[in-house]
Order: sequence, then structure tokens, then C-alpha cells
Amino acid sequence: MVLIAVIMLYPFWVMIGTSLKSEAQFLSGGGFSWLSWKNLTATIPVGQEVLSSTIVCTASILIILAVGLPAGFAFAKLRFRASTVVFLVIVSAMMVPLQAILMPEFVNVTKLGLTGGYLGAIVVYAALGTPFSVFLFATYFRGVPDELIEAGIVDGLGYFGALWRLVVPIAIPAIATVTVLQFIQIWDDLLVGLLFIQNTSERPITVGLAVLAAGRTTSIPELMAGSLVSALPAMVVYLVFQRYLVKGLTMGIDR
Amino acid sequence: MSVVTINGTTPIHRRGRRLSLRRRRQVAGFLFALPAIALVVGFIGVPIGQAVYYSFTEWNGLTSTWIGASAWTQAFHNSNLWTALQNNALLLLAVPFALGLPLLIAMLLHQRVVGWRIFRSIYFLPTAISWVVLGLVAERFFAYHGTLNSLIHAVGLTHVSTNMLGYESTALSALGITFVFTMIGTNTMLFLTGLATLDPSLEEAARIDGAGRWRIFRSITLPHLSRFIQLAFVMTVIALFSALFSLIFVMTGGGPGYATTTMEFLIYQTGFDQGAFGTAALYGLILFVLTAIVGVVQLRLIGSEE
Amino acid sequence: MADIDFDGVTKVYGDGPPAVDRLSLHIDDGEFMVLVGPSGCGKTTALRMLAGLEEISSGTLRIGGAVVNNTLPKDRDVAMVFQNYALYPHMSVAQNMGFALKIRGESKREIARKVEDAARILRLTEYLERRPKALSGGQRQRVAMGRAIVRSPQAFLMDEPLSNLDAKLRVEMRSEIARIQRLLSVATVYVTHDQVEAMTMGDRVAVLRDGQLQQVATPQDIYDRPANEFVAGFMGSPPMNLVPCQLRPGRSRVEVVVADQSIELPLGYADTHSLPEAGADVVLGVRPEDVLIADATGANVLKVRVERVEALGSEALVHLAWGEGGASSSRDARSRSFIAKVGPRVTFAPGDVVSVQVSPEHIHFFDAGTGISLRAGGR
Ligand SMILES: Nc1ncnc2c1ncn2[C@@H]1O[C@H](COP(=O)(O)OP(=O)(O)OP(=O)(O)O)[C@@H](O)[C@H]1O
Ligand SMILES: [Mg+2]
Repeated sequence: MVLIAVIMLYPFWVMIGTSLKSEAQFLSGGGFSWLSWKNLTATIPVGQEVLSSTIVCTASILIILAVGLPAGFAFAKLRFRASTVVFLVIVSAMMVPLQAILMPEFVNVTKLGLTGGYLGAIVVYAALGTPFSVFLFATYFRGVPDELIEAGIVDGLGYFGALWRLVVPIAIPAIATVTVLQFIQIWDDLLVGLLFIQNTSERPITVGLAVLAAGRTTSIPELMAGSLVSALPAMVVYLVFQRYLVKGLTMGIDR
Repeated sequence: MSVVTINGTTPIHRRGRRLSLRRRRQVAGFLFALPAIALVVGFIGVPIGQAVYYSFTEWNGLTSTWIGASAWTQAFHNSNLWTALQNNALLLLAVPFALGLPLLIAMLLHQRVVGWRIFRSIYFLPTAISWVVLGLVAERFFAYHGTLNSLIHAVGLTHVSTNMLGYESTALSALGITFVFTMIGTNTMLFLTGLATLDPSLEEAARIDGAGRWRIFRSITLPHLSRFIQLAFVMTVIALFSALFSLIFVMTGGGPGYATTTMEFLIYQTGFDQGAFGTAALYGLILFVLTAIVGVVQLRLIGSEE
Repeated sequence: MADIDFDGVTKVYGDGPPAVDRLSLHIDDGEFMVLVGPSGCGKTTALRMLAGLEEISSGTLRIGGAVVNNTLPKDRDVAMVFQNYALYPHMSVAQNMGFALKIRGESKREIARKVEDAARILRLTEYLERRPKALSGGQRQRVAMGRAIVRSPQAFLMDEPLSNLDAKLRVEMRSEIARIQRLLSVATVYVTHDQVEAMTMGDRVAVLRDGQLQQVATPQDIYDRPANEFVAGFMGSPPMNLVPCQLRPGRSRVEVVVADQSIELPLGYADTHSLPEAGADVVLGVRPEDVLIADATGANVLKVRVERVEALGSEALVHLAWGEGGASSSRDARSRSFIAKVGPRVTFAPGDVVSVQVSPEHIHFFDAGTGISLRAGGR
């Protein structure tokens, strides 16, 4: 068990160890220095990049929730004509990898003029995250008794009121699951940020790191320091909300 | 009823009369689902259709010329496609490890030894890290001055040195190993959840009946986990087809040569490095079909169970 | 405050048989109406149509004189108590009870006052800040009631509100609900399949079967003068004994032939009953408590054999049978046996042959074909 723990902690050890060396010390193997951390912001615009990541993540997740909650409610409780078929189509979109539709997607989003700022990436992340959130919310809401919604309707709510004042508060755990999973996914993603945010000064941190790394000219200790910074938020979210993550991954099969 | 009331409420009443209660529920349902439908159709559905169209064209993103079926025959004569497909196929060899190791780890954690919660958190922690970062770290691990060589030297083989990412023969293996590492957290999590739903009294009953550890694992634990293993399998294969991009991008850039170019990376290269949007769209369709097959197989498996 | 009027209301799901079939039923303002019937007879469906949760296929539904067929639930101003209570899990008891008022836009102070009043009536004051999860079944039931009464609605709709409670609580809440309804005097439709609730709580009882209304009357009327064989067999525990028999013209009176024995009906009986011609098949019904086990011999006494005695403490049920013992089918066996409810101290044992007497005024006759009561004037 300890051995496995060592292996799983290896990335952190590498990141921490390497980042606490200067470029020269890294090449020669020994030593300790804060130099890389001091130079970090000069080499990598960490602050700007973390901000970009945060903006993109937050906006995408808000859209995913705003779109997924009503849709999940509709598919679970307000079934309309052909809703089962539509639901299946949306859910099967979960299986479509972005790469499969990358070219038309890129051209479309560019033509819409969205690749300049954050908008293109936000929309694409939202579209990619929606099927899962619809699926998860619909599954969750199926477990909510019909009578609860009906009680609200008899108490005077319309469908929108029922969604906003009953369904959403009850769905807090599911909302947390979607948020955590999507946060980690979007924060850690490279492809969308790389292609759909053309303006280099608005790059998310993951993209910034990858581009520098692929360029192979940046000092590795500084790269590692940047990596650590980029990994931190997702790790914190992960450690705090671990149980929602597990729940989301196994949604639908562990009942 | 006063005139005022009639004047004031007639339109509302009229609308109320026309729409029956059920109809109103359905309309609300449809409206609620509409944004999701629009987003998915607009940004996933439509591009699939476009990809089909453009796969028959020569396309640079702005203008396209129809070249018909010959686009497909040309593509299949391109050796890069076959290399990429072969790389994907070879990487499938990593799947048993990406499932087997997490299964073992989950079994270990399931013993609930002292401090298992801490170990669990540690084992899952890399799940939160971007594959970009993990790729960077893996590069360090496999590099000439990296950890792997230090380990080899430490066990006494001082004259042996590797540089797995530097050679066509070994780069793909290095990528596969990294992939296995990155999947450990998620799959362990899945299996552990599966094990937690296993009724412990079953195991005890089997033990009382005189079944050994292996017997118990074979006839109780494994069958119980089958749904979870299926899910992990599908998720792993899909990740293999569509999530390696970050690793490849930072570790090898697809090389050396085309040694680590998988389908998804080939799509990126063809489209964005060579500007052959049409061909890239075509490759995308091939990837789509491959993942669809996995999805259908999965549905079949679930279907046959129920 | 309003009355409720079902006028030929029908509900058809898909292309199945009607779940509610041309139901016409009037509930007066302030009246407590109990809907009763076997499982699947359409009680819940009728209630849901009234609440506006289910579409009406045909017919007209009025609340307080206004047609509400297509009125949204929120505009009907009715309150509903669900079988599983459907309390909002994320709200405290007070919030649950005040929710409808809040939606309606009443002031905080007003809401608080009404909630407190309701809580006092329901003895919930000390639980107002709790979440539903932290309440017992009976307390949750009362919160569900509270949610309905704070609204002072046009009508209360309750769907088996006591069925999730244990027997003792059920008895308690039974009179509690009846008390509150009388206190507030709001038209109430109460669905149950428990006949004790039906008998004890309602001003009137409506009996449904396969979506069709069988009879509406006061509980005692339903018991004493069931409109048909179904109602007779449904209400009462154990149910009314129903025995196929034949009418035979006697010397001067009508005689009923039960098995090989006969009962004479008094002169004038035919005046109060529209009996068919002599020789016709009818079904004779008699409540278990009206079967007297007597030593007497003579007219109108049947000789029967004791099959089984069930002592229930305060009373005993005696299963009686006549004719040849080994009846081939169970239906046959039922038609050859009946139950008497007698005092707890029984002096006979299985196998004994005893005489039983039924006084003619306690006999019900039903048409053998249609099951309709043959009492003159129908119901
Ligand atoms: N949503 C539905 N779709 C199709 N059929 C339905 C639906 N709801 C009820 N039914 C059918 O309508 C009939 C009446 O159902 P209802 O729920 O009103 O019965 P009930 O009298 O309340 O029974 P119970 O005492 O079991 O609650 C049943 O045959 C039932 O199968
Ligand atoms: Mg019911």
C-alpha cells in the first residue's frame, strides 16, 4: 500500500522537487533554490492564465447547469412528445469525442466570431458537458417522487416555480456532482482551450503550460512550478468534494 | 360577474381554455429541454453532419471542393492513417493493465486496513491533475536524466540507460504506461464503489462453506463487479481514443516520426498543421465510428444482462 | 368555501378502459365526502382530476359553480394531502406549512400568524423549526394536514392520508382529521379503502367500482340499505353473507328456498320489495350480526353445521355450512356457507348442528343477474 502511495504521489514529488531547483541545479542534479518560483511570473503569466481558466470554467459550468437542470427536469417529470427519443439522442452525444467533429466545430465557431475571446471555448465546453449533466439530472430527478412536484403545483407553483423553488434546492447534491466533475474536466482540458481561444493573452493555464512545454525552450523547473500552480485548484476542489465525484462517476449503475 | 372582470380576464381565460392541462405540461417540458437540445444539436449534431459532407471534399476551412468518394479511397491509401490506427490498436494492449491494476488496488483498499481512507485519498489524487501536467511529469520520468534511469542504476545496472520517448520502438510503450497511470485513480474509484455495494455476508457465507480466497474472488467478487468493470472498460477505451491528446502534445508531439500519432492526434495534425480540413474531418468520422462501436457493444452487454 | 360538482366526469388513460366512468357526484360546501372502493377503482384518479393534476377526458367539473376543467391547479385553490405526505425535504415544518402562502405573496407576519394557528390546532408548535426528516410518521402526517389547512382553501383533497401510519396512530388521527374538518367546515374529499374510516369519518360515502359510482349515501344508509350486491359485500367486516337462492310461492306467502330448506317471508313483504316472480333466482344477503343462532325449532329456522369458530375476544365469528360437506369449488363452498357474528362465549364446537334464525326485516335481496337491490325504490 505504501509503495502504491509513493507511486501515486510521484508526480507531486517531481513537481515540488524540480521546481525548487534552479535551471543549473536541475541539470547538474543537486541543490535547492527558490529561483524558479521567483522567475515564474516572468516566464509564465500565471496570474492571467489562472484568471482565464477560472472565467472559462465558471461560465461553462453555469451554462451547463442552467441548461441541464430544466432539461433533466423535463425529461424526468414533464415528458413531452418523443421526449424519450430526444433524451436518448442527447445522452448518446456523451459518447461523441470532440476530435470526431473537431474540424466542422472549429470552422463553425470561428465563423460565428467566437474564437477571439473566451466565448468560443465556453460554448464548446458547455455543449460537451450538457449531455452528461442532462443525464445525471434526469436520473436524479427520477428518484424524486412525483407527489413532491405535484404538492408544489397544488400549492400554487407553475412549472418554472416548481423547477426553481423545489427541484433545484433538492438537487443540490447532483448540482455539486456536475460542478465538480465539470470543473476538473474543463480546468484540466487542453484541446478546446488551445484551439478555440486564439488570443494568447487569454489562454487558460493548462494551455499555457502545454504550449510552453511543447516549445521545449522553457526552463523545466519553472514549468514544474507552473504545473503545481495549475494543479492546485483542481486538487483542492477534488479533496473537498471527493464524495460527489464518486457519486457522479457511478451514477446510474450503483442503484 | 362585473364587466370589469370580464374585460380584464378574458384573454387569459381564452388561452387557458385552448391549452389543456396535459398540453401545457408538455409545452413546458419542451421549452425546458429546448436550450439543451439546441446546444447539443447545434454543437454536436450539426457538426457530425457537416463532417460527413466535408469528408467528401477538399477543404481548407474557407472553401471546399467536392471530390466525392475518391476522398475516402485516397485517405485509406495514406499510410499515416494506418500507422495511427495501428498505434491505437497497440495501445489497446494497455487496457488490461488499466483495469487490472485498479482492481488489485481496490481490493487492497477494500480490506480496510488502518488508514485506508488516507491511502484512498492519495491514490485518487492524481485524478484531479491535468493530463498536460501528468504528461510533463511522465516526460521527466522517462527522460535520459530522469527517474527511470536513476532507478535502473540504483538496482545496479549502471551501464544500462534508456530514453524511451526518444526512440520509435519504445515511445508508444512509454505513452501506454503513462496512460495506465493516469487511469488508475478513476478506475480504482469505480471498483471501490462496486466493492462497497457487495454484501459482506455473502463473502462470509462462502468462507463458512470452505471457499478459499481465490474461489471467493472468482465466484463472488468478480461477478458482482461485472457491471462496474464494463463501465470502466468503456470509459477506458473511450479515453484511449479521445483523451490522449494532452499527453501526446506535451510528451512527444506525435513522434518520433509517427510512432505516437494516434487517430485523435492525426486529426489535429492533419487539420491544423497541414490545413487539410476535409481529410481531418474524414479521420474524425472514422474515430466517431470506432467510439460508436464501443458504445454499441456496451449497450449490447447491458441489454443482454437484463 | 365552495361546493364541488362532478358532472359525468370520465378519465381514460391511453386506450384502456375508463379509470373513472361518467362520475356524477355533488359535494356540498362543508361536507366530508369519503370515496371508497377496492384498489384500482379510480379513487385517486378522481381526486387528481379535482386537483388539476390529471386531465379530464370528458364531462364537467365545477368548484364553487365555476367550470375548472382546464383551470391550472394553482388557480383552483384546493389543498391536497398526499398518501406519502410529499413534504418539501429542504424546508422546515414552518416553511412547509407556509409555502403556499408565500407563493401567494402574503406578508411574512401574516404567514407566521397562520402557521402558528395551524400548528396549535395540530399540536405541532414545538416542531416548527424541524426538518421533515426529523419527524415521526404521525408528525409528518400532521404537517401535511397543516400545509393544507393554513391555506383555508375551497376544498381539502386527501388521498389515503392515514395508510402509512400504524394502527394505533391511525385511530387517533382518524378522529383528529374529522374534528379539524368539522372545525374548519371546508368541503373535503377523502379517499380511502379502509371501511372503518369510511364509516366513521364521512358525512356521506361514495362507493366506486371499476370507475363507476355504485352508491352515495350516509354511512349508515350504505350499511343498512346497500344499493347492490357489490356495496353489500364491500362494506362491513366480515362482509354481508350473500347466498344464491330461489323464490317459491308458498301456501299464502312467498318462500325463499335456501339449499333444501326454506324461509317464509311475511305478508306485505312484497310491498316494500320489488321481488321478481316466484321461481326466479335471487341473491339473499344478511349481515353476520343478523344471523341468530337459536335453539328454537319451527318456522324460519335453518339447520346448519358449525364448521369453525373464531374467537375475537369481544365477539366470535361462527362459520356455518349446510348441505353436503365436500364442495368441489371454492365458489360453491362459499355459496353453501355463511358467517354469524355472536357473543364471545360460544357453547358449540365444530361439527355441531345448530339452528339459525334470520328475521325477515334483516334480509336483503339482490337480483341474481344485475346484483341490484330489490328493495322497493332502489336505494
Ligand atoms: N398514469 C396512468 N396511466 C395509465 N393508467 C393509469 C394511470 N394512473 C392510474 N391508472 C389506471 O387507472 C385505474 C384507476 O387508478 P387509481 O390510481 O385511480 O386507483 P385507486 O382507486 O386510487 O387505487 P388504490 O386504492 O390502489 O390507490 C387503475 O386501473 C390504474 O391502473
Ligand atoms: Mg390510489
